[in-house]
Amino acid sequence: MRVADDQLFEVMTGNLARLRSQSLITQTQIATGKRVVRPSDDPIGFGQVISLKATLSTLDQRLRNIQFGQTRLAAADTALGQASNLLARIKELTVAAGSTTYSPSDRIAAAQEVRQLQQQLVTLANTRVNGQAIFSGTTTDQDPFLSGSGDTVTYQGNDDVQSIQIGDGQTVQTTLPGSLVFAGPAGDIFQTLKDLLAGLETNDTGAIQAALGGLDAGLGQITNAQGQVGALENRLDSAAGSLEEFKQHATAMLSGVEDSDLTTTLAEFSRQQVAFQAAAQATAKILNTTLLNFLG
Amino acid sequence: MGGIGSLLDIGRSALLAYQRALSVTGQNISNVNTPGYSRQEVLLGALPPQDDGTAFMGMGVTVQEIRRSFDGFIARQLYGSQSTLGRYQVMRDALAQAEGFFPDSSDAGISAGMSDFFNALQDVANNPADLTARSVLLARAQTLAGRFNDTAGYLQAQQRALDGQIQQSVGEVNTLAAQIAALNAKIGQAESGGQAANDLRDQRESLLRDLASRINITTLEDGAGQITVFVGRGQTLVSQGNANRLIATPDANNHGYVDVQFVAGATGTPVTISSVIADGRLRGLLDVRDGTLAGLLSSLDTLAGDFVTQINQVHRQGFGLDGSTDLAFFAQAGLTASTMAVNISDPRQVAASASASGLPGDNANILAMAALQSQTSTVLGGVTLNDFYAKMTTDLGTAASQADQGLTVQTAVQAQLQSHQAEVAGVSLDEELMNLMKYQRAFEAASKVIVTTDALMQAILAMKQS
Repeated sequence: MRVADDQLFEVMTGNLARLRSQSLITQTQIATGKRVVRPSDDPIGFGQVISLKATLSTLDQRLRNIQFGQTRLAAADTALGQASNLLARIKELTVAAGSTTYSPSDRIAAAQEVRQLQQQLVTLANTRVNGQAIFSGTTTDQDPFLSGSGDTVTYQGNDDVQSIQIGDGQTVQTTLPGSLVFAGPAGDIFQTLKDLLAGLETNDTGAIQAALGGLDAGLGQITNAQGQVGALENRLDSAAGSLEEFKQHATAMLSGVEDSDLTTTLAEFSRQQVAFQAAAQATAKILNTTLLNFLG
Repeated sequence: MGGIGSLLDIGRSALLAYQRALSVTGQNISNVNTPGYSRQEVLLGALPPQDDGTAFMGMGVTVQEIRRSFDGFIARQLYGSQSTLGRYQVMRDALAQAEGFFPDSSDAGISAGMSDFFNALQDVANNPADLTARSVLLARAQTLAGRFNDTAGYLQAQQRALDGQIQQSVGEVNTLAAQIAALNAKIGQAESGGQAANDLRDQRESLLRDLASRINITTLEDGAGQITVFVGRGQTLVSQGNANRLIATPDANNHGYVDVQFVAGATGTPVTISSVIADGRLRGLLDVRDGTLAGLLSSLDTLAGDFVTQINQVHRQGFGLDGSTDLAFFAQAGLTASTMAVNISDPRQVAASASASGLPGDNANILAMAALQSQTSTVLGGVTLNDFYAKMTTDLGTAASQADQGLTVQTAVQAQLQSHQAEVAGVSLDEELMNLMKYQRAFEAASKVIVTTDALMQAILAMKQS
């Protein structure tokens, strides 16, 4: 076959340019550590990268949601524990005040302590996290329990709850409305305390005895609420666990699709370097062999 | 009868012939790097002999023809290859540019924008009364709308740029057609004497290839050496010394982008040929402008429209911290990617609560908005917002990678054809150098014939003197 000079140059420059551009691609993969940067690098892979990145972003957000929820539930748990202690102390006082050894003035003194404990209980029931009341239903901007005259405590919140998203179409409640915790089906704790205080101050042992029953019911109600909070906390913990696991899985999948394998890429790069050097040397040799070299 | 005089004539004919042969070799060597140049060959022939009564005596040598080495069959294959190469080149370049509008690999794209928006909704759900979370949500929504606007803007700007390139290519086609027609006329004239107009043919060949890279052509050479060029569906672009023309006419039904039309003569009725152009840069430009880019824009509009509609539908049912309700979160008029905009400006207007009485802590409505992220939509063909977007980019990536692979394959085909043509038409310096020596030796020998003739004449003259 005849080989024209023009053709020779074109083929050789073409070959060198192609090898150069191939090794440039490999170099970019090594530098960025990524195999898929543009959609055309791997069209299906790019779609997967988009889906996996969105999944990871969602997983991170859900873990964030769970943290929020856990903070709120932990605060509720602590408040309910303290409320339970307060009620136990009030019950002790009530049992003592109900005994025949107590004089009317002793009962008035007991009433003062109970009133202080009642105020502490109101404070607990008005616990806030990030400035938002947690036993208020959804009217979180105001104190749910308001102390009025004559030892009355009124609930200003509503019966709704706040929830967080932990999965597709899955939400978990992160608050208990104060109406259920402190004034639930088993009785209104603050009403019981009001009646108790009245009984102590009017020396009405019958009312004091009746309050004992109310206090037991109230304690039961708070323990019950603590149980609910504990169950919700458990649910969030286990959701966080599986989200973390899923996140690891998705991260590994993303890396598998998107990242370049350094060992393979480096090996490929060396191979391309060798090919380029060989082509360059061959080119230099071929260009030297011309008849002109031998003509005097 | 042939005397010493005829010996001189023979020597003279050889000197002239080899001088011409050396010129042709020189012409070849000097054009070794000229694109489109075809190697020329000298065909020598003996001059007709004369009968001197006893025998036929040779009369010397002459250049019978200077032949252009050229393979017309490969040339026609090259037109086709050039067209396909032109198409893939513009497609690869344009699609590679379009890919840059989807920077999702670096989390700067629409997908990350949607994720950020939905995450911000959940942050508001976590803290419905918190104005900071609400302000962040509005900022994220503006970023997302901005990304839709920008992406649509980039795609439209690229469509306009391609439209400009189409108009430019139409102009180039017309210029090339006129030049080919002019060369047709010159070649017709030059060859009427029976001699091949080699260099003019090379020039015309280069122009035909340039033309083919812009629009696919079929050609027919007539007996006078003039080439008729057809484009589209048999429209005659060049016939003998005359060229018709293409025009680019804005199409009101296609955003005012141009259609390619053919006009015969000065007053012919324009015929639209956009759809029957099969190959070449024009086909590639039309395909990317009206196919890939228009498709991406329409998908982006569908996505933006469905996103706005779904979010607004849920948002309207909720209540803002300020008691506002039935408000559109995104402007209801902005149902396309380029017009998408955030409607509410006061973070308190974010309708997180499902009821007025549940304010400010109720988050049921914003949770319903957040849930849209994982819901499939019939408008989007039964997939989620993000999956719809992912599929769009996959389609673009497939188109871009096909163009890239097509270009690689076609470049190889083109190189193969060019190397076939070069085998016939290309200049080899080694070969020319050998010809140079061959003709030089012959020239020297012919000079020797003349010197010898001179010596013979001297001898005869000397006889007379003595």
